[in-house]
Amino acid sequence: MSQMTRALAIGRKDVESYYAKPPLITWALLFPAVLMLAMYLKDPGGYLAVAPGVIAMTLLFGCTSMAAIVVTFEKRAGTLRRLLLTPVTPQTIILGKAGSAAAYGLGTSLVLALGLGLLLGMPQANPLAFAVGLLLAAAAFSLLGILASVMVREVFEAMTLMNFFRFPTLFISGVFMPLETFPAWLLPLAMLSPLTHAVELLRLGVSGTCYFAWPWIPALVLAAYVLGAWWLVVRGFRRRAGQ
Amino acid sequence: MAAESNGPAVAVEGLNKSYGAVPALRGVSFTMPRGGVFAYLGPNGAGKTTTINILCGLLRPDSGRVTVCGLEVSQEPVKVKARIGVVPDESNLYPELSCGRNLDYLGELYGLTREARRARVAELLALFSLADRAQMPFRALSRGLKRRLVLAAAMVHAPEVLFLDEPTIGLDVPSARALRQLIRRINQEGTTVFLTTHNLAEAEELADRVCILIQGRVVAIGTPGEIRSRVERGTYLRLGLSGEAAAEDLLSACPAVKQAQRQNGLWRLEVAALHAALAQCLAFAEARQLTVNEVGVERPTLEEAFLSIVQQGQPPEVGQR
Repeated sequence: MSQMTRALAIGRKDVESYYAKPPLITWALLFPAVLMLAMYLKDPGGYLAVAPGVIAMTLLFGCTSMAAIVVTFEKRAGTLRRLLLTPVTPQTIILGKAGSAAAYGLGTSLVLALGLGLLLGMPQANPLAFAVGLLLAAAAFSLLGILASVMVREVFEAMTLMNFFRFPTLFISGVFMPLETFPAWLLPLAMLSPLTHAVELLRLGVSGTCYFAWPWIPALVLAAYVLGAWWLVVRGFRRRAGQ
Repeated sequence: MAAESNGPAVAVEGLNKSYGAVPALRGVSFTMPRGGVFAYLGPNGAGKTTTINILCGLLRPDSGRVTVCGLEVSQEPVKVKARIGVVPDESNLYPELSCGRNLDYLGELYGLTREARRARVAELLALFSLADRAQMPFRALSRGLKRRLVLAAAMVHAPEVLFLDEPTIGLDVPSARALRQLIRRINQEGTTVFLTTHNLAEAEELADRVCILIQGRVVAIGTPGEIRSRVERGTYLRLGLSGEAAAEDLLSACPAVKQAQRQNGLWRLEVAALHAALAQCLAFAEARQLTVNEVGVERPTLEEAFLSIVQQGQPPEVGQR
């Protein structure tokens, strides 16, 4: 049995243990759905401007909700030690844990996107860009979540660290207002945020336009985030997991 | 390095490990033959858990060589983990998963097919008397049942070597006894057992080889008999006689008896040679027409030997490596 099959087993178990819980699913869906409904009621023609941003935000919160605490939590519970005693590599564990977080984030954001399409008629101008954006952003966000989890010793520290990343990111990433309206001094910061690039790829998928002249720039930046986060997570996991 | 099937189950050579400036293991060397129960004993902080963590591939030593089932742990940790089972000192299965699902999940991680897992889970639940709790979440089990399931989980892939770190800690007497019976059965079925415990009676009951570690050094290794023989006090014979007899008479009739004391209606005799003393005492009773209503032998226990070794500090090593 390959390490990939074992990673799938770890991911399936994590979905069963953490993600397939009604409170988590309803919270992840209700909050963005209500937000979109409120925007639609306020301005039925303008909701499309923020829909890609809200879908990306749903993905960010979905992918990082458990990923950010899972390693610390399992270390405290002793179950990480149990996992480390089985014939799996650190990469397999990271892949399984990031995979389940990404699957949950993708699931909730896809349900939201489908709901917006079916109920409010949200278009799909470039489905490939939309799919690539969702997949790359899910991988980057879930790995960044796990990175937070391996950087700290306590669950509350991981949550604090993640909140310091997530909430400021929302305001510098074009979720609620387009990058074109950003002041010049804020744009470099926005370019550093992976959420910016996720929003722009989803915007390209929904409306066919995005901030970047060459639309695959955000895809490349997200891919770089995935590789960088993977490298950092493997290093951090090796250093911290056995402690 | 190819895995050996006839070599020792575990071979440790010159193992050193420090945490910062604090040395945890200092030149630890021992071999653990296949098929037996090897008790690894030591006071708190002696380095037992550090050794187990290194043997299981969870921790890298500073120096030294460790092979498990013929595989070098630092080179092939994943292959080593596939051939060993570990019962940690904490019951660390997944609390939200049922007993059956816990075993099934671990079976999946050890590479068992779906059919093999189904059969093995049913077999283990029956063997560990947990079949009626297959659907119960792990967190709902009593402490004793949790330890039993943790042991079952370590056996899910039928490992060649089983590491048990304080397996009966915190258990009541019946649960601990039931677990010891299971450990003995697992060993009899061919699994080599590496046991750490603070319960010296447990080690004495289960182990055929004992290694004592103090301050990160191996200070004694051998069979329980060899370790017990290090205690300076002699062997005692406990004798119950139906009538009265004077200590002087008993001592003069039994030259193999060095000292005689009456305790709670019984004679407690320190003997130089057990066989001779017993024969002489029986002859003494017969000559005096006394009935022997109780005979017992008090040997130094492993606990006494352990305490004696710990009190001595770091005596030279004995027994065979």
